[in-house]
Amino acid sequence: MPVKTKYNSEMDDLNGACKDYKLHLTVLLCIVIAEYIGVISLDLAGISIVLMPLLYSLVLAIAFYIAKPITWISEDQSEKSTAIMMLLIGPLLAKLAIASGQNIGIIFNAGPAILLQEVGNLGTIFAAMPIALLLGFKREAIGMTSSICREPQMAVVIDKFGFASPETKGFFTVFLIGTVLGTPFISLLTSVLAYLIPLHPFAYGMACGIGSASMNAAAVASLATIYPQYAVEMEAFSGMANLIAMVTGMYVYIFVALPLTERLYNLLEPIISKITDKKLKIEGETVNEL
Amino acid sequence: MNFNLSISTIIEWIGILLIFSIMTAIGNYVGFQYPLQEALIGMFILCFISLLGLIIEKILPWNVPSILYISIIGLLIALPWSPVSAPVIYYTSKVDLISITAILLAYAGIAMGKDLKDFKKVGIKGIIVTCFVIFGTYFASALIAQVVLSYTGMI
Repeated sequence: MPVKTKYNSEMDDLNGACKDYKLHLTVLLCIVIAEYIGVISLDLAGISIVLMPLLYSLVLAIAFYIAKPITWISEDQSEKSTAIMMLLIGPLLAKLAIASGQNIGIIFNAGPAILLQEVGNLGTIFAAMPIALLLGFKREAIGMTSSICREPQMAVVIDKFGFASPETKGFFTVFLIGTVLGTPFISLLTSVLAYLIPLHPFAYGMACGIGSASMNAAAVASLATIYPQYAVEMEAFSGMANLIAMVTGMYVYIFVALPLTERLYNLLEPIISKITDKKLKIEGETVNEL
Repeated sequence: MNFNLSISTIIEWIGILLIFSIMTAIGNYVGFQYPLQEALIGMFILCFISLLGLIIEKILPWNVPSILYISIIGLLIALPWSPVSAPVIYYTSKVDLISITAILLAYAGIAMGKDLKDFKKVGIKGIIVTCFVIFGTYFASALIAQVVLSYTGMI
């Protein structure tokens, strides 16, 4: 798995990416098609699922990469795109930050809620740790489920566990999947949850600020399609929550999230490994018989 | 002083951001029929803030990522008492979040191309755990926000 030690070293490494006009034209084609299709609200058994252009442009881009006749999109372009992506996070964050600055008044009113909901970012440990253990992950689970696995936590994991450790490997698994699939996933998740468990749009808006710019934007955009009347507030809340999550992310991770994860791991691992070991034995026996 | 920052890097950044601005404006026009020119000005503002953040990161000695500088600059210039807040808010409101994320994900799709094999190796298990990580983070935050908001009487 390609492991990136420091994000910015990649960004300096653009390799004349801006002259690769075929790459940019291909991307342009993807987004024009995606934007032309637009936002679609599907009605599945009473649950409205919002499909966003970002979903189509992702799928189209992958299809372009796989398609054999398209020879101008290959590994080289793939590497350039990674570097370009990192650069494009900037304008996205600026947009969210402007929404927060513009609405600083309502943000002050909602201050306590925005601050306290950051605690909810620890929810990943309780939701994902048991699942990871059940799926057979061991120490990897600590790296995987202790945070949303974005840049603020990256240095901490490498520093604490070492580069080749299972914890770091787990971290980068979620990091990589989250970067690409996390964004479309959260845009679907927000629309499904908004219908299944209708909390107040403000609450969902704040929750979108989980410390990842692209996930934040996708989640808010999808909520804004459902509640257009609250779009401005939701953008503002999420931008602020995201900023706080990024600033405090590293410290919360060192002092709260990681110790908590290790404790939960020590508690759950013996119990769950008994269950999974039994399953493995059964599988092992069937393999032996074959 | 060694800033560890070359002119060619800055030009490269500006080039990419320019291409990005034009693409966003086009996408915006196709998807939302916002006027091209206004969206383009909005994108230039957003890109200028990003560029500032990127350069500040290189110049200042602290090990603080550019994303933080970008967020703080964006926040400050949009505050009600900032002299440029009115035009900044007007023009950037012509750029839809959806258009920006669509482009980001198109590059992400191509970037993913070289890692497709790794994705297969990690397989469905890694994807399931990632989904639960995101779900847990998002939903627990929303629950707490709901409780606090109703306790403080905002909703």
